Amino acid sequence: MDLFTLSLILVAVLFVCLALGLWVGFSLIAVGLVAMTLATPAPVGAVFGTKAWAALNIWDLTALPMFIWMGEILFRSRLSSDLFTGLAPFTRRLPGGLLHVNIMGCALFAAVSGSSAATTATVGRMSLPELKARGYDDKMAIGTLAGSGTFGFLIPPSIILIVYGAATEQSIARLFLAGVLPGLMLAAMFGGYTMFWAWRNRHLMPPPEPPAPWREKIRAAALLLPTVGLIVAVIGSIYGGLASPTEAAVVGVVGALAISGLSGGLDRKGAWDSLRGAAVTTCMIAFILVGAAFLTGAMGYTGIPRSLAAWIGDQGFSQYALLAALLVFFIVLGFFLDGISIVVLTVSVILPMVLAAGIDPIWFGVFLVLVVEMSQITPPVGFNLFVLQSITGKGIFTIARYAAPFFFLLVAATVILTLFPQIALWLPSTMSAR
Amino acid sequence: MRRMLDLIYTSALVASAGALVTIAVLVFAQIGGRILDRFLLAMGREVVGFQVPSLAEIGGFLFVGAAFLALPATLRAAGHVRVTMLAQALPGAAARAVTIIVLAAGLGLAAFAAWHSGVQAQDSWAFNSVSFGMVRVPLWIPQGVMTLGLILFAVALADELVAALRGATPAFREAEAARSIDDGGH
Amino acid sequence: QTAWDMPTPYGDTVFHTMNIMEFADDVREATGGQLDITVHSAGSLFGHPEIKDAVRRGLAPIGEILLSRLANENPLFEADSIPFLADSYADARALWAASRPAVEALLAEQGLTLLYAVPWPGQSLYLTEEVTDPAALQGVTFRAYNTATEQLANILGMVPTQVEAGDIPTAFATGRVAAMMTSPSTGVSSQAWDFTSVYVDVNAWLPKNVIFVNTEALNALPEDQRAGLLAAAAEAEARGWAMSEAETATQIATLESNGMTVVQPSEALSAALAAAGAQMTEEWLARAGDEGAAIVAAYEAAQ
Ligand code: NA
Ligand code: NA
Repeated sequence: MDLFTLSLILVAVLFVCLALGLWVGFSLIAVGLVAMTLATPAPVGAVFGTKAWAALNIWDLTALPMFIWMGEILFRSRLSSDLFTGLAPFTRRLPGGLLHVNIMGCALFAAVSGSSAATTATVGRMSLPELKARGYDDKMAIGTLAGSGTFGFLIPPSIILIVYGAATEQSIARLFLAGVLPGLMLAAMFGGYTMFWAWRNRHLMPPPEPPAPWREKIRAAALLLPTVGLIVAVIGSIYGGLASPTEAAVVGVVGALAISGLSGGLDRKGAWDSLRGAAVTTCMIAFILVGAAFLTGAMGYTGIPRSLAAWIGDQGFSQYALLAALLVFFIVLGFFLDGISIVVLTVSVILPMVLAAGIDPIWFGVFLVLVVEMSQITPPVGFNLFVLQSITGKGIFTIARYAAPFFFLLVAATVILTLFPQIALWLPSTMSAR
Repeated sequence: MRRMLDLIYTSALVASAGALVTIAVLVFAQIGGRILDRFLLAMGREVVGFQVPSLAEIGGFLFVGAAFLALPATLRAAGHVRVTMLAQALPGAAARAVTIIVLAAGLGLAAFAAWHSGVQAQDSWAFNSVSFGMVRVPLWIPQGVMTLGLILFAVALADELVAALRGATPAFREAEAARSIDDGGH
Repeated sequence: QTAWDMPTPYGDTVFHTMNIMEFADDVREATGGQLDITVHSAGSLFGHPEIKDAVRRGLAPIGEILLSRLANENPLFEADSIPFLADSYADARALWAASRPAVEALLAEQGLTLLYAVPWPGQSLYLTEEVTDPAALQGVTFRAYNTATEQLANILGMVPTQVEAGDIPTAFATGRVAAMMTSPSTGVSSQAWDFTSVYVDVNAWLPKNVIFVNTEALNALPEDQRAGLLAAAAEAEARGWAMSEAETATQIATLESNGMTVVQPSEALSAALAAAGAQMTEEWLARAGDEGAAIVAAYEAAQ
């Protein structure tokens, strides 16, 4: 069977499974099964066992349940409402108000966490109920979160950049530095869009409150102290050399337990509920990771991503045309595969043509992260969508619609980055001076 | 029967939570060791250099256990993500039929997964496959836990399928309905 | 036509992978395109920990791993990772000749046929500060990733510290670790000058990657294809050793041109390292039993 027909069949199988309401993890497994049965003599069951095992037997993944657990504890303590009460007087005058908490919260949290699912789950668990209680528009509350959750990959540390760096022999230290300014730029773009949206849609915003006197601001700032302390402790443990980025998640858990224990907000039931919530959310993400890993393995056997990438390579595109073609290619793959799978499956074919076109490999790492971020919020397979569905109960297509403006902002960011590559390359270039 | 099944799902969830707590305790011990060394160094004393041997590998195994053992409870709490558009759009009888199809497909896939996970654990046992790091962990142990989680997942899916065939509402459908009311989704 | 998928752990720019690509081309040429090997590099089909059992269970017919990863299975697999037992290419060759039959037999018991092995350039010390007096190593944190590196650190009075591969730059930058032992190839590919400043050329040991094939899959090949495969493997082995040796000097030069201080170990340091190596050889012999003793005896006889 030719790869084109095979691809069509697989896309059809995926859509039928998902539309029927088969769980996402199972749907991915089903597509992998069909792909391997049709295209390779390799033993499909044994491949499934190996890929499922290898998908989760990963040390870095342990940070995921720890951060989710931290979020569950904070959500059950007074800390999350304190955070919002504390920020309210400062963001009151800003168009968009507390919606900026999503963006700034994710940017801050991304400096701690390497994954976008953990960032979305942790910040979302705290912020969405508070935004809802304060009368913010669901569409924007969820959309900003879906978009900003993807900072987890761009602002260091970043799982994607570690995977890319390991596969392509690029310096992970430089890649991390390269992600900083684009990450801040993206946060500014998201913030700017939110202000613009709030200015255009004043009727959808909760009624503005009177400006806060400085006395109230000080009282509010005091409410922020525990949260700020927690963030400082987690980031400080990494930069102080006390914990690796993976281990730092546990600093967050212990800190959250300590704070909510001291403030008396966490009883036995709350403690168990937070742990149960962490186990369930972790399991949900892990099960999809299993399906995605098996499908990735199946795709490796079929050779579809390789052939597609090689086809692009054969077109003899100029630099900009190549990047445009790759952007489209990654967006299309990103609908169906998760970000890490895309990088793993295609980088070995794509990097040589990227280098041949004279594109800087460090810059290309940042470009890849941006397209991977897009894949997190495009249906039917996008991890931020899954996390937000489990928090809000809204369907993934609805959430994807809310997130659409941020998808386009991500596309705009890749264009800006292409025109001004120094945004990514300036910081790493300062490293060569030593 | 009902009580026994519920007890099994809850026990598996407690074991999953226990794995998460174990990860936290081990990592915290490792960080504590570094803090102690910093302190000793500042006092001009010799460092202890305490560390949890093979922390990274054991952490990975614990994550596998935590993830797979929570599968049945996550299913029943509607924690697993799926597209519910069709289920919501269809009239009652048709929606029930689709639920039965989906549960049957899920059961088949879970049985496939459990079987091949079991074969893998058995091969690791037969091959004497061991971990690579400082602590020599036979791989059949974590792979066996993974298999157990998948078997319980299949049992939970069968449980839900039987409920649906009897005309009752499966637990996950109830949880989905409860959640969409809570959140004012519809 | 037979299509083989070949999972390998390292990236496309690592000389091991380049050698394997050439090997796959040679096999295609030798078999008139009848045996077509697709190389899945950088763990893209199966990760390093899974590759051996994947080949053993028939998920892929052929693969590559770092041999000493199997040390927990049998100490004979880590003969090439005993510090200072064989610290030059000539010695490494002699040690491989002495240990090859044992490794082949162990793999054969698992239904695997060894095709060839290629060493990494010698493992040397990467430090954040220059060290000439071995006493200065006391209390320095040293990256340990298995029992052998942990033991080496302990003997030298260093503090063994577990750091995962992807975490190395952060660990150095934040002071969790201050020394590591790896090849100049890995030093260059991970751009070690970003986080270390001194390279001490100690050449402690030359670990090898092995390329092996599922014996059943090998026997299923027609006679001429099998002969083509084995001939290409022999060529790849010779080519790989030459590539490795040639790479050593150029990669050390790359480290230097990127600002690292490249030094030879002081006599005192060499002596301390040699003593540690002797102790670890004894310990290995105690673990590896008669077969281990036979390997060392054969190796010493050949020197
Ligand atoms: Na991050
Ligand atoms: Na997507």
